[in-house]
Amino acid sequence: MGALSYFKEFFRIEWFKKFIAAKTEPLQVPAYFRNFPELTGNECTHCLECKMICPAPGAIDVFQHEDGQWRPQIIRGHCFRCGYCVEICPEEVLTSGGILAKRHEQNLAFTHEYKVLMNSMLCMGCGNCCTACPVNREIEPNMGSGGTSVSTNVLMRVEKGKNTVLHNDLCKGCKICEDTCPNGAVHVIRHVEAIQTGEY
Amino acid sequence: MTLLQILKNIVRKHSIHVCYVNTGSCNGCDIEILACLSPRYDIEQYGIYVHNNPREADIILVTGTMSAQWIDKLPDIWDKVPEPKAVIVIGNCPISGCAFDRPGALIDPPVSKHIPVSAVVPGCPPRPTEIISTILNSADILFENYETKTERKP
Repeated sequence: MGALSYFKEFFRIEWFKKFIAAKTEPLQVPAYFRNFPELTGNECTHCLECKMICPAPGAIDVFQHEDGQWRPQIIRGHCFRCGYCVEICPEEVLTSGGILAKRHEQNLAFTHEYKVLMNSMLCMGCGNCCTACPVNREIEPNMGSGGTSVSTNVLMRVEKGKNTVLHNDLCKGCKICEDTCPNGAVHVIRHVEAIQTGEY
Repeated sequence: MTLLQILKNIVRKHSIHVCYVNTGSCNGCDIEILACLSPRYDIEQYGIYVHNNPREADIILVTGTMSAQWIDKLPDIWDKVPEPKAVIVIGNCPISGCAFDRPGALIDPPVSKHIPVSAVVPGCPPRPTEIISTILNSADILFENYETKTERKP
């Protein structure tokens, strides 16, 4: 009898179970983790702020669905999970982890501006960027094919054989000029600042 | 299914040997793989063992953007792995090139262009939990009844 209880002490079933099965708690992602952004159900206004701020190429796109609604879509394999799109969206269409709660708590808002930087060593004054720029086209539809313009209200125009940026504040950050430049002379940079609004 | 086959399935499921290959990543994903080895996640309790030797491995974990120097070397490594074998790519870089896929960059993503890829873990970097669950879930499907499978045999 004494020997049996002795063996019972040393061959506990829990020990064998623990020896065979995994010991740490089930693998799961905590709720505060900044995961891939998901839709909250708010209506998207198609302002494309999320697409402009996104640092990863091709990570977010806004599609019109069959019911006529615009909805952003995260493309996995491109997304960094940085959460900028969640933070900047004025309608709070996207959510991810505790970002929205933190934004409400701290009254955070983003100011952003875009700057067009021209490398004058590479620019050959072809005017592709000026004619392709959608802001330029809206201000002056009759812009010359060489990028020349009589109006000084345009974002940029070709002056003396070089592209000159006149109004940086008009830039919307679409980067079409960057894509159309044959020499890679144009760079559009984002300048984003988080500011606290109201009382904190 | 014979008793031997059942036994083989159980053994394969509980003994997955991985080898990780860094094809020019920023080390973010490598650090996440390293975190899997730590006591917090502890991949050895699931039967996943790390050998940095393709001849011992069942699964290759590929990180990185596939830089130009790796284009001829990664298929060589893939040929050295004994059957049954699989490739799991970790992070955004092997899937799409992500931030490094810019004009003028000396990279050639995706990795699936060079070797057959069976599973991807998106994220920059992915969490260790995501890596472990992907390895476990895909290994069950890939290595089950390997002998009776007809597709992709040498």
